[in-house]
Amino acid sequence: MTTDLLADRVRSAVATVDDPEYPGISIIDLGLLESLDTTPDGHVAVGLIPTFSGCPALSMIADDVRRAVDDVNGVASVDVRWLGAPVWSVDRVTETARATMAREFTVAVRIGRGPVACPRCGSPTDERSMFGPSRCRAVHTCPTCAEVVEVMRA
Amino acid sequence: MTGLGSAVREFLLAFADDEHLIGQQHTEWIGVAPFLEEDLAFSSIAQDELGHAAALYAIVAGDGDPVDDDLRIDDLAFGRAPEDWRSAQLVEITSDDWAHALVRHWLYDAAEQLRWEQVAQSSLTPLAEAAARAEREEQYHRRHADGLLDVLLPVPDSGDRLRTALADLLPLAVGLFDPVAGEAEAVATGVASAPFDSRLDEWTDRVRRRFDVDPARFLPAAPTGRLDRHPDFGPLLVRMREVIDLDPAAIW
Repeated sequence: MTTDLLADRVRSAVATVDDPEYPGISIIDLGLLESLDTTPDGHVAVGLIPTFSGCPALSMIADDVRRAVDDVNGVASVDVRWLGAPVWSVDRVTETARATMAREFTVAVRIGRGPVACPRCGSPTDERSMFGPSRCRAVHTCPTCAEVVEVMRA
Repeated sequence: MTGLGSAVREFLLAFADDEHLIGQQHTEWIGVAPFLEEDLAFSSIAQDELGHAAALYAIVAGDGDPVDDDLRIDDLAFGRAPEDWRSAQLVEITSDDWAHALVRHWLYDAAEQLRWEQVAQSSLTPLAEAAARAEREEQYHRRHADGLLDVLLPVPDSGDRLRTALADLLPLAVGLFDPVAGEAEAVATGVASAPFDSRLDEWTDRVRRRFDVDPARFLPAAPTGRLDRHPDFGPLLVRMREVIDLDPAAIW
């Protein structure tokens, strides 16, 4: 058994952990995984970064990751840590996750300061509330299709 | 953080206590804010401020990981006697009027921005990292408070209420800049770049431009200090301790 294979298996296990806010979207696709180190004798260190300082799900996510990695064949120990840097940003959200968010949750991801495209019809949306149902989402509406759009933003 | 001197610890506690209490104060508007967007805004802003407090308490308590240091953070956040708190009275007083809460939010966040800047290049790495995370979040807080004030200050009745609140709050808000224990040591060791009161003029200038008043009229003659708790602090601490008093081992 080589370390590389162990790292791959551990990474796959971490990928099974979903963000509690977005069931079906992996924390890896949201850009939460920053580092993953394995030793030849099976010791694993996972470094995560939070989307926001006050995220109430940090313990839950760390526990889920610990459990998932613990079950991997060849893992002797696992250390999961929340890192202080880098600062998470929406740029870390993968295209796959963006597509799922748009389709399943009517959530758009805001990149930069430009207009946000409605996940339903593509028109530029209007900001209604800078703060939304969870800390990382603003509320917009689409003037074209009248959809309410939640916008994940930095 | 091993090796953190007691002076620097005191310095960080003052910041953490302010963040904790302003966060708690904002939570008390959830469900009773004047409109839905404000419920959402105050809950989100509160969550950020409590996150900043947790980050600062984690640095004081251990290695800076808010999950690892959970119980030690609780000890600091809920376990200290009132005389061991280092909060400014601005964040201790009860705000039962929304105009009052909004002005406090603006005054506090204007000072908070400068305060994080003082530690953005800190020799204490977790503190510099917390500053980078906080500033990204604080931009939204300032936009929120400014957006409301832009709309409400020019309206006669609203403007009067806001200015009345300002006159009430300014003397306490200046207390945010009172020198805290351990600050000299923090500056000497590069934990902070300069004493916080070196930014007071900049802050009062912002207040002047925002509210079109001369803050000097409202400033206290002597520092209010951070050693005496406001009478509202006792009941506030009781409310904050409701869960931990029911179940000291509760995890949430």
